[in-house]
Amino acid sequence: MKPAQFDYLRPGSLAEAIEALGANPDSKVLAGGQSLIPMMNMRLARPSALVDIGRIDGLAGISANGSLRVGATTRQAEVLADATVQRRWPLITAALRHVGHPATRARGTFGGSIAHAEPAAELPAAMLALDAAFTVHRPGGTRTVAATDFFLGHYTTVLAEDELLGHVDVPALGGSHWAFAEVARRHGDYALTGVAVRLTPDADGVVTDARVALFAVSSRPVRSAAAERLLVGTRVGDAEAATAAGKVALDDIEVAEDSFVSATYRTEATAAIVRRALLEAATNPKGEN
Amino acid sequence: MTIEDTRPRSARYVGRSVQRVEDPRLLSGQGRYVDDITLPGMLHAAFVRSPHARARILNIDASDALALDGVVAVYTAADLAWLNPMVATGPMRDGILAHSRTPLATDVVRHVGDPVAVVLARSPYLAEDGRDLVDVEYEPLEPVLDPLAALEPDSPLVDEALGTNNISHLEESAGDVERAFAEADHVTRLRFHSGRSTAAPIECRGVVAKYEDRAGGRYTIWASTQMPHLLRMFVAPVLGVPEGRVTISSPDVGGAFGLKCTVFPEDVVIPAVAKLSGRPVKWIEDRWENLAAGVHSKDMICTMEIAAKADGTMTAFRGHFVTDSGAFSSIPFTPLVDSQCAGIYLTSCYDVRDVAYSVDNPLTNKCQIGAVRGVGWVPGQLAREVAIDQLARELGKDPVELRLQNMIGPDVYTTAFGQTYDGGSYAEALEKARDAVDYASFRERQAKAREEGRYIGVGFSPFVEPTGWATASAAAGGLPNGYYDTASVTVEPDGSVTVTTGLHSHGQGHETTLAQVTADELGVPMESVRVVFGDTDSSVFGMGTYASRSAVLGFGSIRESAGQVRDRLLRLAAILLEADPGDVELVDGVAGVKGVPGKTVPLQQIALFGYFGGTARPEDVQRDALTATSGYSPGETYANGCAAAVVEVDVETGLVEVEQLVAVEDCGVQLNPTIVKGQVAGAIANGIGVALLEDLVYEDNGEFVSGSLLHYLYPSTTEVPELDLLTIETPSAVSVGGVKGVGEAGTISAPAAIVNAIADALSPFGVVIDRTPVTPEYLRRKLRDAERTREAS
Repeated sequence: MKPAQFDYLRPGSLAEAIEALGANPDSKVLAGGQSLIPMMNMRLARPSALVDIGRIDGLAGISANGSLRVGATTRQAEVLADATVQRRWPLITAALRHVGHPATRARGTFGGSIAHAEPAAELPAAMLALDAAFTVHRPGGTRTVAATDFFLGHYTTVLAEDELLGHVDVPALGGSHWAFAEVARRHGDYALTGVAVRLTPDADGVVTDARVALFAVSSRPVRSAAAERLLVGTRVGDAEAATAAGKVALDDIEVAEDSFVSATYRTEATAAIVRRALLEAATNPKGEN
Repeated sequence: MTIEDTRPRSARYVGRSVQRVEDPRLLSGQGRYVDDITLPGMLHAAFVRSPHARARILNIDASDALALDGVVAVYTAADLAWLNPMVATGPMRDGILAHSRTPLATDVVRHVGDPVAVVLARSPYLAEDGRDLVDVEYEPLEPVLDPLAALEPDSPLVDEALGTNNISHLEESAGDVERAFAEADHVTRLRFHSGRSTAAPIECRGVVAKYEDRAGGRYTIWASTQMPHLLRMFVAPVLGVPEGRVTISSPDVGGAFGLKCTVFPEDVVIPAVAKLSGRPVKWIEDRWENLAAGVHSKDMICTMEIAAKADGTMTAFRGHFVTDSGAFSSIPFTPLVDSQCAGIYLTSCYDVRDVAYSVDNPLTNKCQIGAVRGVGWVPGQLAREVAIDQLARELGKDPVELRLQNMIGPDVYTTAFGQTYDGGSYAEALEKARDAVDYASFRERQAKAREEGRYIGVGFSPFVEPTGWATASAAAGGLPNGYYDTASVTVEPDGSVTVTTGLHSHGQGHETTLAQVTADELGVPMESVRVVFGDTDSSVFGMGTYASRSAVLGFGSIRESAGQVRDRLLRLAAILLEADPGDVELVDGVAGVKGVPGKTVPLQQIALFGYFGGTARPEDVQRDALTATSGYSPGETYANGCAAAVVEVDVETGLVEVEQLVAVEDCGVQLNPTIVKGQVAGAIANGIGVALLEDLVYEDNGEFVSGSLLHYLYPSTTEVPELDLLTIETPSAVSVGGVKGVGEAGTISAPAAIVNAIADALSPFGVVIDRTPVTPEYLRRKLRDAERTREAS
């Protein structure tokens, strides 16, 4: 339960951080450390160096001018407590309530939870449902990656070794219906299955655009194309549509098994929580613009 | 501390919720645990452990590890050949094979986590670096994983030296069981698999040892243990020295729950390598080691049969209990602590006179089975109480009424197997639990919920808990041995009081409760009493703390020794007060003459006189001063009570929410009601874990997958509902002060209540719950199977 040897670097600027990452192959970014440090203590992760970005100015903070921008090192607890986020992006608040515990959220960062890419983590799925975009710092500049393109598999993202997630932008989505649901053995545990849904209604309450983002079902968070397709054109809160969407939610998705649950379990439980989330979305207070 | 005195003076502290005196120290971070011990020149140890369930060791190459800067030594079994084997002989009864092991594996590893070598280094980090560099070449062997297959004659053997996997087969019967089953109107049969769980204390195990090469060699060992003297007794012969050359010190212990009343290989390896290296050595167990190589518990395949008359009278019980015993027989209690305990107390609070049980204890290539809170009483309770609910459903009877119909009366009662209960509130506890869940209106609420597609259920689990583990109760429990305890009480020259005991506190609050008892017996303020335990050099010999024994044994041994000292104090005071000893009373540390106000002498003066009063003192005081040591081994004491659970099952996700949990506890006279509540609440939470969460999982190839607290789940505050903790006080008919023990009750009772509530909730589906933990995966599988069966018919 002691980590293997590693170097510790604490760059003072973004440029220094990018340089440090490039100069140290197999290094890891240290943000809140709530996942990385336990993995290192168990020697499941053996980075050559930790690049601590905790003291870089400008990487933390929340601003909401039209869209929402959350800096990568903003603590999860701070986002959870943010009144503007609660009012305008309630799906993020709902997801954060399931991320760990008060103690881990006090240290854990918003960007860290995304870049870590644990397949059962809540925030990545919420980002998919919210059409978020990630700004990535790299040698000589930045690039922007859509949430849907970011996650590749277990703990794997499109980030290159010398790239760093800088901030997250979430568009203004007031008026969308949303819901968040997960099944976990205990509150705060990684989920056995989970879903973030967002539905855009027209004036008659008919779905014009749907996001059904699943997590803890596969090697990465994933949008259910089948469920989303099925929902467009149905009424928000339609029980039959919700049931049908739940049933097809995992079509064409390779469902994971682990020591806790089988793929069959995941498929059944996912159908149930997708249905429930779609029904709940009809009654949850919508985010404001 | 201000305490309002509303009780008679003879019981000024006992029975009151005095605040725990250890808490300011523990809660402000001033506790001192094994990991806080640092010695000059100390090295740190890391163990190389088997990744295989069963394999032959072909070669161990430590050269890379030894080449690492900071690694001082690597030792294997070959270096420890001078140690004597560790032997589990069984608790002084026939019918169990002695099992011997070397502290480090020699030729074969027998479970994942089995220690193979130990690396000593300058820091724990370097020790783990060295551990990773030790290259062990294994030849994997076919593991023995299924306990029932392990009993087959063609099974591979976990330990070939034994010639069998089954280290103990026991059978016992009373009355005429065959006839009762033959004549029964109805027989119900249940096969129930109680899952594999463990203690998972916050503080894992740890050992620090130093060896001094003087006076023939002396070992000083700091260990996180529940039983310092017994640990010394078992460790010294392995080290090959008399007990007088071993000191065991157990400082603050951060939770134990039975796990730490086992003697482990590390307890001898660390002192042995301290001797070999000539340096003090520290080993602090990590969570993976604790889960993979500590003790496991309660993994038992139970077969329970009940014979009944048509009117619901239960006439006979028959049980078979197979404990999946793991690779080694644990020292000292052996896996019989599970299987035997499940069997011999089978009738519990029911008046059933025809009863039989048998047990088998196959070794398997898994971690050893040892004593963990509730031991085999938990699987036994599960098998019986779940079967009784099944019987009630089959007979169309109400499960509460059926239990009451068959329950023993409140007086002293001798069971078919000869345990003599010291009186209890058996029926009353069940009735109280029934009322607390508003059973009268529950069925209506349940029917309404079902109409909305919600499935709620209620379950009950009345229990009898053997407590105050002592010679008599151990004999009655089929694990005969001498179990007693001593306490020494000394009034120091300034009137302060020192109590030493071989009992051990690791959360129970002995510094409080034993001080309460002592203060009452002596007639002194509680603040003047210090309770000393945990070190074999400073405490009188004792058996340690486990099996809910310390309240009973502590009270009894202190009352006797304190009584002797009080008698001397009264006679000394009588001399000083020029009064008849019979007229002297000692209250709050001041002696006075009854009926003569103002004529007093403080304890300090009496004590000083007791030590330095020359020939003016009584002769026995001239000889013994103000110290007395006395022992106690009570008759059989049994606590009782009842748990009731209300649950809601989400049939689509298989999640179970415990909506309400009632625990009615009757532990006789309570020393400290707050501490009793704490014990019950903690045990109930443990019981929720056993019922729903805690599961040590081995894959089909013997790989161990529950090696972290991400995988081994126990309840947190969000999984434990507000508990209804109710008490009844039926003083013990046999123990000093009428006290019974309380440590394990909730863990014994809660799982069966929860399982019964789940089965009740799911009764429309015809689902039989036949294992713990009841996980979402398991419940969904059961519901899916039931659905298929229904569709097919």
